Amino acid sequence: MSINLSEEIVPIVLEGQVVELEKSAAELLTAPWVKLKIDGIEVEMPRATLATDPNTGRKFPRLTTVYDAAVEAKVAVPVLCHRDHMTPVAVCRFCTVEVGGRVLAAACHRAVEPGLDVKTHKTSEKVRKAIGVLTELLLADKQPPRGAHLESERDELLNVAAELGIKTDKPSRFPLTVRDRGRDESSMVIAVDHSSCILCDRCVRACNEIRNNQVLGRAGKGYTARIAFDLDNPMGESDCVSCGECMVSCPTGALSNRAVVEAKPWIGAKPVPTAVNTDDLARHPLFEGISRAFLAWNIQSIVRRVYEPGEIVCREGEFGSSAFIIEEGELEIFLEAEMKHAAKSKSSQRTGIFGLVRTVVTGLAKREPKSSVQEPSRSYIPIDAPVSLELSHPIATLTPADILFGEMTCMSSYPRSATVRAKTRVTLLEIQRNVLYTLQRSKKAKAMLDNVYRKRSIDSHLRGVALFADAITYNAEFNAFVESMRDKVKLVRLNPGDTVFRQGDLADNFYLVRVGFVKVSQGRPGGEIAIAYIGPGGHFGEIALMSQLLELADKTLPGVRIATVSALDHVDLVSIAATDFLKLLSDYPTIRAALLKEAERRLDQNRALTKKGSTEINLGEFLKQGLMDAQSLLVLDLEKCTRCDECTKACADAHQGVTRLVREGLRFENFLVASSCRSCLDPHCMVGCPVGSIRRRSSREIVIEDWCIGCGKCAENCPYGNINMHPFPTGKKMPDPNHPGRTVPVVQQKATMCDLCSSLDGTPSCVYACPHDAAHRMTGGELMTLSIRRAERLAGTKS
Amino acid sequence: MIVQELQKIQERCGWLPAEELRALSQRLSVPLHRLHEVASYYPLYRLKPPPRVDVKICRDMACHMAGAERLRSEVQMVASEYPAGSVAVDGVSCLGRCDKAIAAAINDHHYVLSQTSESLRELIGKAHAKDALPHTHWDMSPLGLTIDVYKGRSEYLAVKRWFEGMEANALLKELEISGLRGMGGAGFPTFRKWTAVRGAPGQPKYVVCNADESEPGTFKDRELLRRAPWLVIEGMVLAALVVGAEKGWIYIRHEYPDGIDAVRAELKRAREAGIIGSNILGKGKTFELDVFISPGGYVQGEESALLEAMEDRRGEPRNKPPFPVFQGLYGKPTVINNVETLSWVPGIVLHGGSWYRDMGVRGATGMRLVSISGDIAKPGVYEAPLGQTLRELIELAGGMAGGRAFKAVALSGPSGGFYPAKVPVSELPPKFVQSKLPAGATQFEILDLALDFTTCGEMGAMLGAACIVYNDTRDMVNQALNAVSFYRNESCGKCVPCRVGGQKMVEMTTELVEGRSPPGRLELMRDLGETMGLTSICGLGQVASNPVTSVLKLFPEEVESYRKGQKP
Repeated sequence: MSINLSEEIVPIVLEGQVVELEKSAAELLTAPWVKLKIDGIEVEMPRATLATDPNTGRKFPRLTTVYDAAVEAKVAVPVLCHRDHMTPVAVCRFCTVEVGGRVLAAACHRAVEPGLDVKTHKTSEKVRKAIGVLTELLLADKQPPRGAHLESERDELLNVAAELGIKTDKPSRFPLTVRDRGRDESSMVIAVDHSSCILCDRCVRACNEIRNNQVLGRAGKGYTARIAFDLDNPMGESDCVSCGECMVSCPTGALSNRAVVEAKPWIGAKPVPTAVNTDDLARHPLFEGISRAFLAWNIQSIVRRVYEPGEIVCREGEFGSSAFIIEEGELEIFLEAEMKHAAKSKSSQRTGIFGLVRTVVTGLAKREPKSSVQEPSRSYIPIDAPVSLELSHPIATLTPADILFGEMTCMSSYPRSATVRAKTRVTLLEIQRNVLYTLQRSKKAKAMLDNVYRKRSIDSHLRGVALFADAITYNAEFNAFVESMRDKVKLVRLNPGDTVFRQGDLADNFYLVRVGFVKVSQGRPGGEIAIAYIGPGGHFGEIALMSQLLELADKTLPGVRIATVSALDHVDLVSIAATDFLKLLSDYPTIRAALLKEAERRLDQNRALTKKGSTEINLGEFLKQGLMDAQSLLVLDLEKCTRCDECTKACADAHQGVTRLVREGLRFENFLVASSCRSCLDPHCMVGCPVGSIRRRSSREIVIEDWCIGCGKCAENCPYGNINMHPFPTGKKMPDPNHPGRTVPVVQQKATMCDLCSSLDGTPSCVYACPHDAAHRMTGGELMTLSIRRAERLAGTKS
Repeated sequence: MIVQELQKIQERCGWLPAEELRALSQRLSVPLHRLHEVASYYPLYRLKPPPRVDVKICRDMACHMAGAERLRSEVQMVASEYPAGSVAVDGVSCLGRCDKAIAAAINDHHYVLSQTSESLRELIGKAHAKDALPHTHWDMSPLGLTIDVYKGRSEYLAVKRWFEGMEANALLKELEISGLRGMGGAGFPTFRKWTAVRGAPGQPKYVVCNADESEPGTFKDRELLRRAPWLVIEGMVLAALVVGAEKGWIYIRHEYPDGIDAVRAELKRAREAGIIGSNILGKGKTFELDVFISPGGYVQGEESALLEAMEDRRGEPRNKPPFPVFQGLYGKPTVINNVETLSWVPGIVLHGGSWYRDMGVRGATGMRLVSISGDIAKPGVYEAPLGQTLRELIELAGGMAGGRAFKAVALSGPSGGFYPAKVPVSELPPKFVQSKLPAGATQFEILDLALDFTTCGEMGAMLGAACIVYNDTRDMVNQALNAVSFYRNESCGKCVPCRVGGQKMVEMTTELVEGRSPPGRLELMRDLGETMGLTSICGLGQVASNPVTSVLKLFPEEVESYRKGQKP
């Protein structure tokens, strides 16, 4: 279908981001809320909320449904085919409700309308009877799963039957003619039992919509319809990557786990973690609403760890891929080397405490005259936890009420920002990225975490914002300030690439960065240029809101954004509406003064940047190639490289004859960035690994552990093509289908990538092998500095 | 693209080999499961090589009454004379030839109408020898009905009238005066549909003609398509001009090759005459119109399922709202009208809304085409004024066949269920009894029913285009099993009540027919029927139990004797 361009596209600001939508869609999202009744309980709901297509990233309005309203009204409507994170299909009809028409409506699909008077099975006999018959129908038509179904998992159909008081131990009223619809056990990981499938379409949407694997569909028609892989191939022979999403989405166990993949993310961990069981987890409020099958399948991605007082949980600067849920006890969170921070130049602290960005900014700063304007000093340091630390005494306490810490390291693979030590005996749940990702998808868990911010974190977060900390020095006054902000702040969560606002937009909010990094860029003749990164503790969006102040009157356009701000990774923002922001300025003249100073500084910096010209290196290209994110680039200096390919040969020699680098790739200035793992700060490759085998251990390099199942997701995700799939013998043998009586070795696809191998002198083999000193390993920042130096040298020779 | 590409492969290979599907997947960049979903859904597609001769015999309503089951077993005997697997004989859903029952199809393209196996024996022999099957000569004579205002000529005067300065609102006013309603069965006022699409936000807009006439017993659109295709084309051009659409399709069931040929030929003529194309009559307006051949299935006649098929997906009905007038084809506002509905529009434009309105009798408005079949002397398509009684309609079609007594009627194919000659007052809505029956009446003579939307609605009946009549020799429980099996066979399988409920309904009706219905079963059948009606996504599932529940309700003696194990 072609994209229809005839309808006007308008940008609107929603949930703290700019979204471009067709006019009618935009109107839906900004329409007044509607009032309706669920079993007599009045609720007020928006017409639609903003949703993102997980495959394309396209934003669209998701219509608010009667089911959403029932959840709001706390009326439990039974569902089988519906999941909050999937597109409603309304095929099971279990959420049937009365809305006053000739027939009943499916709550999960029917959009809310003003004045709708909804009756669920709790108040309507007609509805109760209908759902009862549907339950009996399915019970009489399907078999209990015969596969190696997980015992901890309960058939959701039986749950609904129990809720409705339908006895499942009595013989059915319907003739019992259960047909054997066949089984498929060709997959090593997942067993399919068609006889217990109810065609709820959850696996199909899981495969295509959630994971974009595009393997599962429905085949046939009518009563004989069933699920099928590819062209109705056996699952094990299809393009299925065994990601398990279909299995964790199945409500009846028709798709079940044959053998839990032996993931070993905790190997060597001390203290030794203990396993948790699904029942335990399901009772934890954070895991409510998360599929039991998911917990069972990912049980190895969650462990319980007990620390004795004084034991270190994680250390500042370490890499990791996990986050921690506090079950019991108290922890201390602190910066181990306090002086390290205090001693650093203030300009480097401004943009964050993480190495890379500092490097880039320092690189830029070198070319600028030192600003005469003093940076605000900082007394609190934002860290990857619900609290911020005081610079003079960087230690704070975490308790179970804080719920979670280490999110940023887990989601975006940043190094740990602080050290955490057990204060009392503590019990923690350590979770891997796939679990955190699913938690963030759950509405319930997100609401809990947001609540923690409002209740617990706001105080230390605002103290961590230098702007406020410097302006309000008296503690009592600061407390009053925090109280005044508590219900005015809104949390905004962004995914990489989302736009907060764009240059030229009308301004409406002021933003504080809590987690992650945003990029500030401006459109200039000759392309877009990034002018700053803002990380935790930073703020933006004040200039346009303050433009009406006399002091800035002639310096910027009134009320209009002067730059575009977008998310570089997983970003949490706190937004303050324009009116609240302006009130803040009038209430706190010191904040006003500080912001004004900062705004003037930023505007001056802007003008200075605009004047820059000929020796400017192409920052836009640098960002586009993702080089700012790289920690270990294999850079070939094209002025020296003779294309002898020794580097490639050396790599092959070091890795059983299979090269992991290709001497080709994108060019930046006069350098070739070869296709070899860059050890990105925010590695795209790690997103979506179903078994968590691609990860960081405790250093910057990314490794693929040997429990890789060969799904190819990481290779697909790497934007630079640096991961390859190679077949490896597994040592197992299976009967040869072509030659009965003989066996063939089982070969499994596994992902391979650069492991920063060490050669004789400690450098990677490729660098060691280069006879022309053309190959070097460096960070993105170092490449930038090198390019600037070369550009300046060239400019110098010219003039 | 997928639907057309699959049809091309099938035409070339005779079926859809996996390697062809893999190549198509590469070419269109469409995942394999998407192709297989579509290919395995539609009855026209074959995922296995076809037998040399593939005979499909219609099994529904009129053909069932004429002995389709007997014919099938006879033809199976014929098939057994050939090498195993070379001649396949199977049943098929209504082929739309109920007036000449029994209908059969050979190798999907050739249609035979015969009550005996003799003519089929000869054709099977020819097909097996790969000889050409005899060419069918279709009746192409003028319809001779009021609806064909051009009396067999292709003139397009109504489009010319539009360009002489007719306003959209003026045309809509005439439609409103006419009282024209959707003739596909739902009876939705046409002017309201067009007004809604005209006013709906979103561009582009589309006009789609639903020529997927598949309800058993219905075959009136077949005649219109073949013998007066200019009417539907002109109706669509006018709809497009009113709502502001520039693209349209006529969605025709593949079992109507005669209709497809006639419409294609007429489209060519209309394009040459400047009635469709990029510059209609030189006035700068555009309307492109094409034929879309259905890959098969009764449920495609449900308008949103039809749109799904056009959008290359499994033709499963959508959840509504949103309705197609607001979000139809590709999510855009779409007019979907039945062939007959569109065919009445030229006459209304030329002669005014009152011309159509005044054709009704007994206070009803308008005229309609009825397909009548079953135990009737002259089955066929008749033009009947709305408000005409069932008795008058049966007389129009020559009375009961063989002079036998009238026993029952299906007013809307199988979808409306069956009515006996005399309906007990207790089974009728009180309002209807009060307004239509003399005081103290204990039963209502169904032959006196005025066939119009209002009266039938008040009685709680559906008024479709198919009228099937049954004489006193017919066994209604058997007819109910036949009809409910049709819905089970044609269910798309999307929603639980229709997919599983339809199957259970067939199982339970079979139990009844076989005299092994346990106590409490009839009650459960009523409960299931109610649930299917209340919770199914589309009209198919909502009416699927009607044939059974109507017989349980209105033919209790027959049901009772079956329950006791005594065949009536």
